Amino acid sequence: MKLDLDLSRVWLVDPERGREGPGEVVVRGGVLRSVRSLRGDEATGIDDRGVVVAPAFVDLHTHFREPGNNAAETIGSGMRAAAHGGFGTVCLMPNTQPALQSAAAVRDVAWRAAEAVRSGPADIGAIELRTWGAVTVDRAGDQLAPMGELADAGVAGFSEDGAPIHSAVILRSALAYAGMLGLPIVDHPEDDSLTEGAEASEGLIATVLGLKGWPVAAEAAAVGRDIAILEDVVRDVPGARLHLTHLSTAAALDLVRSAKARGLPLTCDVTPHHLALSDEWLAGSRRWAWEAVDGDGRRRDPWADSALVAEPYDTATKVNPPLRSPEDAAACRAALRDGTADAVATDHAPHAEVDKAVEFGLAPNGISGIETALGVLLAAVEAGELSLGRAIEALTAGPRRVLGGASRPRSFVEAEPANLVVFDRSRSWTVSRDALRSRGKNSPLLGRTLAGEVLLTVHGGLVVHRSEDIGPS
Amino acid sequence: MTPGPGGDAGIALPVWHHRHLLDVDRLTWPEIETLMDVASRFEAATADPGRKLDVLRGVNVTILFYEASTRTRVSFEIAAKKLGADVVSVTAAGSSVTKGESLIDTVRTLEATGTRILVMRHATSGAPYLVPAIFGGNVINGGDGWHAHPTQALVDLYTLRQALPRPKGSKNSWSLRGRKVAIVGDLLHSRVARSNLWTLTAAGADVWVCAPGPLLRGFEVWAAAGAGGRRFTATTDVDAALRDADVVMTLRIQKERMAAGLLPSLGEYAARFGITRERLRGASPQVLVMHPGPMNEGVEIAPDVADGPGSLITTQVRNGVAIRMAVLAMLHSAGPGPMSAARAPGSAAGGDPA
Repeated sequence: MKLDLDLSRVWLVDPERGREGPGEVVVRGGVLRSVRSLRGDEATGIDDRGVVVAPAFVDLHTHFREPGNNAAETIGSGMRAAAHGGFGTVCLMPNTQPALQSAAAVRDVAWRAAEAVRSGPADIGAIELRTWGAVTVDRAGDQLAPMGELADAGVAGFSEDGAPIHSAVILRSALAYAGMLGLPIVDHPEDDSLTEGAEASEGLIATVLGLKGWPVAAEAAAVGRDIAILEDVVRDVPGARLHLTHLSTAAALDLVRSAKARGLPLTCDVTPHHLALSDEWLAGSRRWAWEAVDGDGRRRDPWADSALVAEPYDTATKVNPPLRSPEDAAACRAALRDGTADAVATDHAPHAEVDKAVEFGLAPNGISGIETALGVLLAAVEAGELSLGRAIEALTAGPRRVLGGASRPRSFVEAEPANLVVFDRSRSWTVSRDALRSRGKNSPLLGRTLAGEVLLTVHGGLVVHRSEDIGPS
Repeated sequence: MTPGPGGDAGIALPVWHHRHLLDVDRLTWPEIETLMDVASRFEAATADPGRKLDVLRGVNVTILFYEASTRTRVSFEIAAKKLGADVVSVTAAGSSVTKGESLIDTVRTLEATGTRILVMRHATSGAPYLVPAIFGGNVINGGDGWHAHPTQALVDLYTLRQALPRPKGSKNSWSLRGRKVAIVGDLLHSRVARSNLWTLTAAGADVWVCAPGPLLRGFEVWAAAGAGGRRFTATTDVDAALRDADVVMTLRIQKERMAAGLLPSLGEYAARFGITRERLRGASPQVLVMHPGPMNEGVEIAPDVADGPGSLITTQVRNGVAIRMAVLAMLHSAGPGPMSAARAPGSAAGGDPA
């Protein structure tokens, strides 16, 4: 497992040091021997359209379903999927069964991960698993979970994800208590009095398809409440921090933008699917969100454009929050560009096929997305919607800042274990059931070809994913 | 596959390519006309009570209804029997559905036991779209959630073609160009209205939809956006919707809408939106009134309007049989698909030309 790598004449993206350009990376025995930028003649002919080397990606929002629903995903299959997507670190949401709400449960995740690696191929190491602890006991919303015990066990923070933090009282207390512990609260902002039975983002597509509308206001109302409470708490608890996950609407992102301008300790993420897909996909469109708007940024008519190429009601497009209008998707990309969104998080939500092979309204929400995140972002880069550097930053330094703290494994630091991903923008792969390592085949991108095949993912000096195309190193 | 034999009674069926009827949105205007022409020939050929044709002799038709229905289920049964089919009716309460069997497993079971044509009613929008990928026969949507009720829309158009024939001597083929059609009622929850929007606009009608604000949500943006260039007008002003209307379609208002906080009361709805003689004074003097049923007389429609001179409500029910005969026969003529099972559900991308 002693990894030796000579990555010469590559495109190096190192967001933590603000460095991007032709470079060379040498690893010996899993340890970063040297990393340097190439200049002048050495750099000739190297551009950002070929092999790229970046820090291994960090996902703030991941569901591996174990324990409780191993048919959808296990810690082992999830780790393989994450590494295949270029991720070296993922943060698991606590909505397993039982919920992650004790030090024992945190240790159990580590034990299961070690078991999965032990029973896997001998030359494949483990990615880093972080965990979010539950905010309340059994995620029932009534009583705070043992947050101090969870903090001592090493959780990254606390979340009720899968559901919002319903009670404003609980949110206040949780922000203050977690602030005392130096950890963030992660909220899934949704006013679910507005979303009971909702199936699709309210608007044209939901109306034509006869699906119950999921209003934009369901997200904005929750974000507004969360910000008001944070603003209140932070006056007394300067350490309080709030992270809002999977924001999907222009309205919510505008609220975050202005709250950040006031200096509130607030961060947020957007998902690859909310920035690149749109609600048109429910009707059978398969074009990117930036292709679904006219020159003025307004939604085009997919019926008039003959954009509806697939059958409607594909349950792989059903997700919470729902795929939104192309205008909202554009707002997600704008938020990423201007820094309102700190990170891209996948909300990788695998489901067993039998659970998704049902009527649209009865299907569980979620997209299996950790393996397609890079390819989707690269499509946005290709379209000029995002710079490569910003896309990579949103998968690396951005989420690291949200996690904060001293525990971060550093990338591109000489004499430390290597943490990096190598992908080739000139090589594409086709998303298929077989290609996805995740047990969750619930990807609306099945059949689609994505650029940027991941050749190698390295975490802690060990290979965690190696493309079959490059063979053993 | 090319057209099947027309059976008896000299009914040779035109060429038809759609194996399924999930909605009317993908039918071209000539295809809609074809279905109406075939319906009118079937209507004539089975004018004698008890007369049966051979078009579907030996074909197993299953009517799978997950939701209560009287007129749609009965008219499909009669239509299939008039075409000589063997008909089985399955309702959710009397099948393994109550034991938690999935829709896909139910359809596979029906196919294995010989079902060739499946007529399906389901409370969930889009449910019948699951079926083509796993079923080798023909699927007809008998109503899915709020989404579509294609045979009802065809019945309504067929009824209007009879009631509003083209002027004598007109060289143009029949259409609703120059006619104003107002759809008034609970738009939000109406599959009938959604399907009718496609067929009525395809027929060239000036379509207005009208409801109290909470029951019109989404239709304003649809009206503004069009869909495939098919435009209509959405309004909460019932008098504007009815002004000079040639046709008024009323939609059922359900009591559940009050509990859901969408409306104050049935009485207030009736007072402000109910179709009464007085309110119809602003419409064309020969205004025709339609209702897909079942009606709440005294709520969305006054009894004297429902029974009045311009009412087509009974004709709609009667025409249900002829249109459903046409749909059953034409889909069958398009032939079966590959025998199911190989394709996993959800892999529909690019899928079947339903």
